[in-house]
Amino acid sequence: MSDDARTDGGTATADPNLVDRLVAAKHSERFVAVVSLVGLLAMPFLLIDVLGVFDDLIGVGLGGFVGLPTLILAFGIVAVGYNLLLGYTGLLSFGHAALFGAAAYAAGIFSNEVVASPVLAILVGVVAATLLAWPIGFLSIRRSGVYFAVLTLTFGQMLYFYAFGPGAWLTNGDDGYTPFAVPGGAEIAGAVPTSDSLSDLFFDLTGLTLTLTDGLDVTVGYVLTALIGVAAIVTAHRIIKSPYGLILKAIGQNEQRVAFIGMDVFRYKLMAFVLSGVFAGAGGGIYALSKAGLTVHPNATLYWIVSGDFVIMTALGGVGSLAGPLLGAVVFEYIALVVQGITIPIIDFQIGSLWRLLLGLAFVLVVAFFPDGIYGALSSLGERIAERFGTESPTGDGPRPVEDVEETGGDD
Amino acid sequence: MVDVAGILITGLQQGAIYALLGIGLTIILGTMQFLNLAHGALYLVGAYTGLLVVREISVQEGALAGIVADPTAFGIGSSFLVALVVTPILMFAIGVAMERFVARPLYDRSEVEQLLLTFGLALIVEELARQLIGSQPFSSYAPEELFGVVVSGQANIPFVGQYPRWRFVVIGLTFLLIGATYLVIERTDFGMVVKAGTRDSEMVRLLGIDITRSYALVFGVGAALAGLAGLVGGTIIDVAPGIGTNNALVPAFLTVVVGGAGSVVGAIVGGIVLGMVAAVFQFQAPQWSQIVLFGFVAVFLLVRPEGLFGSVEVGE
Repeated sequence: MSDDARTDGGTATADPNLVDRLVAAKHSERFVAVVSLVGLLAMPFLLIDVLGVFDDLIGVGLGGFVGLPTLILAFGIVAVGYNLLLGYTGLLSFGHAALFGAAAYAAGIFSNEVVASPVLAILVGVVAATLLAWPIGFLSIRRSGVYFAVLTLTFGQMLYFYAFGPGAWLTNGDDGYTPFAVPGGAEIAGAVPTSDSLSDLFFDLTGLTLTLTDGLDVTVGYVLTALIGVAAIVTAHRIIKSPYGLILKAIGQNEQRVAFIGMDVFRYKLMAFVLSGVFAGAGGGIYALSKAGLTVHPNATLYWIVSGDFVIMTALGGVGSLAGPLLGAVVFEYIALVVQGITIPIIDFQIGSLWRLLLGLAFVLVVAFFPDGIYGALSSLGERIAERFGTESPTGDGPRPVEDVEETGGDD
Repeated sequence: MVDVAGILITGLQQGAIYALLGIGLTIILGTMQFLNLAHGALYLVGAYTGLLVVREISVQEGALAGIVADPTAFGIGSSFLVALVVTPILMFAIGVAMERFVARPLYDRSEVEQLLLTFGLALIVEELARQLIGSQPFSSYAPEELFGVVVSGQANIPFVGQYPRWRFVVIGLTFLLIGATYLVIERTDFGMVVKAGTRDSEMVRLLGIDITRSYALVFGVGAALAGLAGLVGGTIIDVAPGIGTNNALVPAFLTVVVGGAGSVVGAIVGGIVLGMVAAVFQFQAPQWSQIVLFGFVAVFLLVRPEGLFGSVEVGE
């Protein structure tokens, strides 16, 4: 998935070797959709049920909690969109928390003031973030490099301080805003409760017990989130593989050259910013949904450190690949929300608040030693395996596009 | 009516600390084209160094209690002066080490990678502070008296009214430091190399000057200035692990972009301008103060991207 937009379907049909066929197939959109759907639906099972086994075995709470997969996906979708900007177009934004937070607040406020429908709330979040991304992008794109980062930061911080102080009538300021504060919680289109598990829903609908999914902590809300996640991944895949994505990548590598061949660089950069804003909006809306009955706080949504978190997730997983940012979001949120609760048995040492230290260390090590991120390291390992067992690898020689993006990300 | 003179003094005091931070960041940015997001972490280390030195050397509760006579007995004032000497030396060493082990491997890599790695470093430093010292805020360690002169409490100043004495000391001290740095940059050979380096580091190298050594020195000086800003700033606000990113890193970056990357004079002027803008609104509309500050910088960046005294364009 990390590979460039060259069409290499020819290699697959010509050679019946299974490994080669698999390597080639991973470029097709259907493959991406199926794999991401299976992966996202398996995530709660892996995080909660499989890792949860260790809780009983060795007494270390490695398993996640019911809300974790939704949260991971909320940030994962933002990271996938953020990667379109950082990994492909080479723009480092420090203001994406503004888009994410604005969407979370818009979705939350909509859920209380208009109708408590998760689908509509997420849609409202997307619209809010898109409308905000347009002016911020329009102004910030005029500058590049550090100045772009600082400009996006200033706009984000303005919104943060507005939500904290003068905008408290709308956002409830430091006390936090409670989305979906309606009796009964959030319901899909006003009918199906999102907090129930799938097996409960099946029982409600048919009166039968779904023994297959017993113990599987997939909630209806998560299924909705996963479907949006799949849509986001497929959309990102389509953008990356299209000529449009190729232009974005070209801008990331050499902006002048793209301008010389007659492309309107400004327009493409703005669209990359707005597109990443759409993803940030979807993530923000899902975040609001996951916080039903809890509070959305400016520090957790709008503060510039949250933008930094998006950068970390994207870079940790691997810029310039589709799966990288998702992987980064899983690792980030897992460390942030699960590892911090772990107590190491025998020595009785609680990791607790060390999580940011661990994260910082992991981050520094990955940036220093694996510039392609976790996914980049994994995929180069996978390529080596494919080369070993396959007759020929479609991505055999030549540098990987991930590295191309890395090298030229900042010399504009 | 809010006193104009009071606002000006507050702005000057805040701006001087911004300037001190900005100079360190701008010479590193200008000379090495290196973006240091760990600059706020250096401020944090400076503030904690000040805190620890002042606590440990105080006769009441510190480690030296009962061993050394009352430091105030020497007539120099307090352990704050010791911190004023210890902090820059320690920070200089940290800066040199940072240049060698963090910055040097990153010179040839992209801006984004520099930002990412130093950002990760800032996170680590902040978390270490939280782990080793705790997340509780420590209140100001400003001394009671310096050289026999009472510097605590309020003074009745003409045109200003009641105003904390210590703030005047802070203004004097930071301007002294800024002046000294300015002289070093403008009048010494080292300063010449730094200034030339901000223009064209390749040419400096071609002229046969060992710029690698200068890089380490520049980084050391930048870190020492950030540490001093932390030491001085820590006497005004409570010291807590979050101040590195909240109170130092972002203002330092704003100062540099307003002043113009690579320009020492720009950092001084930019810092004071930002301090003034923040102070005016702190008095008039505290809730809007930060919003106006960031808005000001945004408009400034759009209208005059090269900054007030910009000589080099970083990343443009």
